[in-house]
Amino acid sequence: MSTPVSTTPSQLTSNGPLGAAGGASSAVAPARSAPREGGSTSLGTFGVKSGLAQMLKGGVIMDVVNAEQARIAEEAGACAVMALERVPADIRKEGGVARMSDPAMIKEIVDAVTIPVMAKVRIGHFVEAQILQAIGIDYIDESEVLTPADEEYHINKHNYKVPFVCGARNLGEALRRISEGAAFIRTKGEAGTGNVVEAVRHQRSVMSEIRKASVMSEEELYAYAKEIQAPFHLLKETARLKRLPVVNFAAGGIATPADAALMMQLGCDGVFVGSGIFHSGDPAKRARAIVQSVTHYNNPKILAEISDNLGAAMVGLTIDSNLKGGRMAGRGW
Amino acid sequence: MQGRKEATIGILALQGAFAEHQIALQNKVDIVLVRTVEDLEKCDALIIPGGESTTIALLARLAGLLEPLRTFLKKKPVWGTCAGAILLSQAVENAKKGGQELLGGFSVTTARNGWGSQIESFEAPLLVDGLRDPNRSFMGVFIRAPVVLSLNPSPHDSPIEIVARLPAGLLPQSQRVVMPDEDDTDPRDPKTIVAMRQGNHFLTTFHPELTKDDRFHEYFVQKCVLPSLK
Repeated sequence: MSTPVSTTPSQLTSNGPLGAAGGASSAVAPARSAPREGGSTSLGTFGVKSGLAQMLKGGVIMDVVNAEQARIAEEAGACAVMALERVPADIRKEGGVARMSDPAMIKEIVDAVTIPVMAKVRIGHFVEAQILQAIGIDYIDESEVLTPADEEYHINKHNYKVPFVCGARNLGEALRRISEGAAFIRTKGEAGTGNVVEAVRHQRSVMSEIRKASVMSEEELYAYAKEIQAPFHLLKETARLKRLPVVNFAAGGIATPADAALMMQLGCDGVFVGSGIFHSGDPAKRARAIVQSVTHYNNPKILAEISDNLGAAMVGLTIDSNLKGGRMAGRGW
Repeated sequence: MQGRKEATIGILALQGAFAEHQIALQNKVDIVLVRTVEDLEKCDALIIPGGESTTIALLARLAGLLEPLRTFLKKKPVWGTCAGAILLSQAVENAKKGGQELLGGFSVTTARNGWGSQIESFEAPLLVDGLRDPNRSFMGVFIRAPVVLSLNPSPHDSPIEIVARLPAGLLPQSQRVVMPDEDDTDPRDPKTIVAMRQGNHFLTTFHPELTKDDRFHEYFVQKCVLPSLK
């Protein structure tokens, strides 16, 4: 297995994660006293942003809507939780504009657990992101599951100390998000459906495009970068590493341990499970089984044991033109 | 780095940044990714990587690895980075509600997420005497890192050797023992300790595996693993 160690795209580091506001003297932590004895620290570097995602690898990030669910997720072995007001299946059912969650509810979840807490903002809604940074969230998901706030621009994610994860359906989209500062990518799938088909499609696209790029000459890479609308330097780095330069989880439709192991065998680093856990018959048991399936994804014997008697899975939806709530994966560009 | 074919180092691969350790050690020693008791039995030494300590502990219990790991710790060298350091601790603060399982093995008390949330994660250059080329600083990457609260070796334990410290001025304010206008470079303050060795066990609160610099991996092989094979 390869790894995104020390693959910080050079342009990202040279600009600095603090962006224009940071300037040359931003190396010193504002919250800490002046360095002495030759020491200095750098907060919010791309290294610590992508590094946290590296620590989440081989893990399961679970959607939770309150502190009680967050505790169930932590006890079941989640490596992080995603705090949101409604899971995607309910957003589909209820409709309306889906926004960032109430900060009070997010803070309750932060207080309830010791694992990292993530929260979603609408695509392009940089003020929701500022608010989440102010309350000290560990990761922000600029997510197509919420109603987009901007149909042209994504958030300039270099401007934040808190790291961002973004969705992607293919390699070009993933690299565009990384160039905007995302330190972590998840393939989009189709959230809230309990149907893994789109997650498979997107993970296969990313992997197949990486394999294609990895055998290209430099001339071919220039043309391919134009074709998939990806920054050339990031495409070249991806081709060299034979993987995305940041951690890549799968998301959108994972409902069983077998689904999670499938995504792992297709080459992702871990999984997000949204509606699949708390819309199932026995959330605690299913959550734990999915956590185990991501560790033992290559061991069918263990997968068989942990898939036994999990109770009812969430009801899945067919993804066609009648899909209630429409296709979310098409949001973002 | 010496050690090829001389040692088989296991990397606990239940969750977290195990692939990064694998890259740092590849072509230098034989490597086993440990997910089961049978995997563990092949190893001369073990690395417990960064990740989430609560997740790793649960997966270890479900895989029937907790007791085999504790037995392993009594005999063989183990290095814990970040979450791994928490698992090796005798006791932890800021544990999850209801407490969490540890492996123990290192006579130290640590606090999880001792610096705060991810926004407080940082990089800092460390000057470390025990490494090859000690005048070249080592970039310490601290991600929601634990902080050492106290060393509590009992008389029959191996002595603890402090391998690396942060300059005290870099400690987060909430972790200060002394006020900034006092002498905050007090070398006795345990919160500045970021790497230490007890017998053939090694503990770092930061992530050497996230850098290209392999000097801490070399240190573990030379100071902990190879001596244990003699």
